[in-house]
Amino acid sequence: MLSKVLSFGLNGLEGFQVQIETDIIGGLPHFDIVGLGDKSVIEARERVKSAIRNSGFEFPVKHYTINLAPADLKKEGPLFDLGIAVGILAATEQIVEKSFEDYIFLGELSLDGTIKKVRGVLPILISARTLGFKKIIIPKDNSEEAKFISGIDIYPFSSLKELVIFLNKENSFPINPIKTKSFEEIEKINSNKLDFENVKGQKVAKRALEIAAAGGHNVLMIGPPGSGKSMLAKCFSGILPDLTFEEALEVTKIHSVAGELDLRQGIITERPIRTPHHTASTISLTGGGTHCKPGEISLAHNGVLYLDEFPEYSRQLIETLRQPLEDGYITVARANQTVTYPASFTLIASMNPCPCGYYGSKERECKCTPAQIHKYLSKISGPILDRIDIHIEVDNVSYKELNNNQKEECSSEIKQRVDKARKMQLERFKSSKNYCNAKMTVPQTKKFCKLSPDCEKLMELAFSNLKLSARAHDRILKVARTIADLDGLEDILPSHIAEAISYRSLDRKYLEV
Amino acid sequence: MTEKEKLIIYLSNFEISIKKQEGLIKLLGDRNIEELLSSDIENFSKDELQKIRLNYNKQKLDEYIKNIINSGIKILTIFSKEYPKSLLNLPDRPLILFAKGDLGLLNGRCLAMVGTRMASNYGKMITEKFAKKLAQSGFVIVSGLCYGIDSISHKNTLIVGGKTIAVIGSGLNHIYPAVNNSLAKDISENGLLLSEYPPSFEPKRYTFPRRNRIIAGLSQGVLITEAGLKSGTVHTKEYALEYGKDIFAVPGNITNSKSELPNHLIKIGQANCVTSPDDIIEFYGLQPQVTSNKSISLNFEEKMILDLLENEERTFEYLAEKSKIPTNILNSYLTTLEIRGLIKRLPAQTYAVI
Repeated sequence: MLSKVLSFGLNGLEGFQVQIETDIIGGLPHFDIVGLGDKSVIEARERVKSAIRNSGFEFPVKHYTINLAPADLKKEGPLFDLGIAVGILAATEQIVEKSFEDYIFLGELSLDGTIKKVRGVLPILISARTLGFKKIIIPKDNSEEAKFISGIDIYPFSSLKELVIFLNKENSFPINPIKTKSFEEIEKINSNKLDFENVKGQKVAKRALEIAAAGGHNVLMIGPPGSGKSMLAKCFSGILPDLTFEEALEVTKIHSVAGELDLRQGIITERPIRTPHHTASTISLTGGGTHCKPGEISLAHNGVLYLDEFPEYSRQLIETLRQPLEDGYITVARANQTVTYPASFTLIASMNPCPCGYYGSKERECKCTPAQIHKYLSKISGPILDRIDIHIEVDNVSYKELNNNQKEECSSEIKQRVDKARKMQLERFKSSKNYCNAKMTVPQTKKFCKLSPDCEKLMELAFSNLKLSARAHDRILKVARTIADLDGLEDILPSHIAEAISYRSLDRKYLEV
Repeated sequence: MTEKEKLIIYLSNFEISIKKQEGLIKLLGDRNIEELLSSDIENFSKDELQKIRLNYNKQKLDEYIKNIINSGIKILTIFSKEYPKSLLNLPDRPLILFAKGDLGLLNGRCLAMVGTRMASNYGKMITEKFAKKLAQSGFVIVSGLCYGIDSISHKNTLIVGGKTIAVIGSGLNHIYPAVNNSLAKDISENGLLLSEYPPSFEPKRYTFPRRNRIIAGLSQGVLITEAGLKSGTVHTKEYALEYGKDIFAVPGNITNSKSELPNHLIKIGQANCVTSPDDIIEFYGLQPQVTSNKSISLNFEEKMILDLLENEERTFEYLAEKSKIPTNILNSYLTTLEIRGLIKRLPAQTYAVI
């Protein structure tokens, strides 16, 4: 007998419809799954067989052929297990086929018939809704992330047996789809984030990070070991504006596909901060691989990517950041398909001023030769520097500063100013795709960063006296625009320009030996 | 070009001691090089002789010389008119100099500025100050185009439109360190680039201390702003003493390892202690130029910042704490003051008055 069950596969961040066809004929015992499944799909045979038997159903000895259509698309992962099991039960007439023909089935089966959580439920739900499907069955453990999707009935189940009872309507108590929540209702999980309140001193760095948050600028911090670069970076996500629902959904989608979602946490409400180590491989950063998964830069989408010890990353790895920093997405080309993941993040990088870390420090003498220092500083290529608007120096905090009782400003106060500045930018860019100053195109920079004659004069003087490199020009304009926004002003003042210039350490020659 | 000059150019391609080269030139007499090479030559090792005999080819040599001259490099031998008189009587004078730039500078009032490659903030500041003032007073600043004090001296001389000579320890087409390529180009256009090695000569360990004798020889005096006791500057000082040149040293903090050499030289009386460029200017009986202190209008906060920086370099945090100016405003004041050339920014968020 033949049965047909609906399921969904995953390609990048999009779900696609898969029809599981089960055909059972007499003859020698045989079980085959066709339709370009990977190893985990083929292994479904054993899981499904045991799960059916251990749930108290029959698995007759016959010739089984399962086809996952469309047969030319690669299918990965164990999420088809449940669909295959239901297909077999229907083909052996243990479930009435009429009862499930408009359902979609997702889930991995354990040998005892339990339905286990799978990755990528959220993007599949969104795709299924777009394609007009109305009912879907998912593992109970995935129900948190599904709660924010309305317009489709979602039924969570924890075992195959329960599911069959539900489908055969043997239970007199009807099982209802899960109740959806709106984004505003969710309790924002406060994950003990570091607060700027706890960072003593570092006035310049804090101010620069405030500007970076307000304008979406990338930041490079240069300073000796132990000066608090990592701590500053970790505080940074706390002053970024809150995620909107669309942004949160996008972030959650990526984390769902990567299998990085916390069970308790349905939707991600905080901007993510990712800190890959400098030994990370290129693929772990960009995404891709045999089981195509989003990489670190996509997991940092709408959040922060923090790269500590920036020059220690391999050249190739740093250069792969160029496309995402420019376009906000990464395209991973694989042998048989190309996947695009969103990757629009704020880059915070940090580095020592020299290999030993103490060049310019007052605490210890630097032991590096001039050639070493020069080589170290020039490891960051021009094109990458071009994409980092703010470079600041971070110095060690003295004991006196650490111990004073002066109250430091807390993150929420800074965030208010950032929110205000962002609002101005949304207003400014409402007719374009852009949403922050850092992403301004050249014509936009020309239009929105008009300089008064006073400012022009200052810029000219600065370029001739401070020996700024040409690439600094537009960066300074953009940062000055953000500083003016923080002041709530439409016009850029000379003081804004002057402050913006002070955040161009690497363009300036004073770091040179 | 005489046969003698050609011989010097030919010999400069082999690393042969100057004494031996001078011997060969004497031996040449009125003969041509071919005859010289086929005659008996004493004092040379077998290898050396074989090298200079086998490689000689009259046509090739002429072409080689033509190529060098066509590439804009001037060749000065001890027989040339332009060869600097200050070097001519030195015991180990270079027989040949390759030059790019203004040869007139060789007859100027030359002063060498030498020191460590890893200057401290203090060293950078005073070198900048001395280089600018001395260059403006008409001194030709001679240095070695290395990292640190060398390049700071060259750069700041050029900034004020002064004249500078760079004596390098490699061929003129082989600037070392390569970072200074653009500086070398600037110097060849606005000053003079000098080397005793043929244009394609790659730098070797011994060439750097060797060229220090030319730096010392060209100059009336040698100014040491900052250097360690084991620095290459010691060589320059030794040559300067040997040639009877004046030595000046700027004292520094006794705990600073980079000030050890100047402090030591002052202590043992080998160097004149100088604390201002005017000391050197007066030493040579010149009138120190009074730079008109342009009355610059400063507002209250800017004056306060300058007052705080008066005696010592200060960090941003210190300035912020003492002046109570908010971070963003202070940042823009500091940058404005820097753009106007009143203060200087140093690594690690440190500022100092110029």
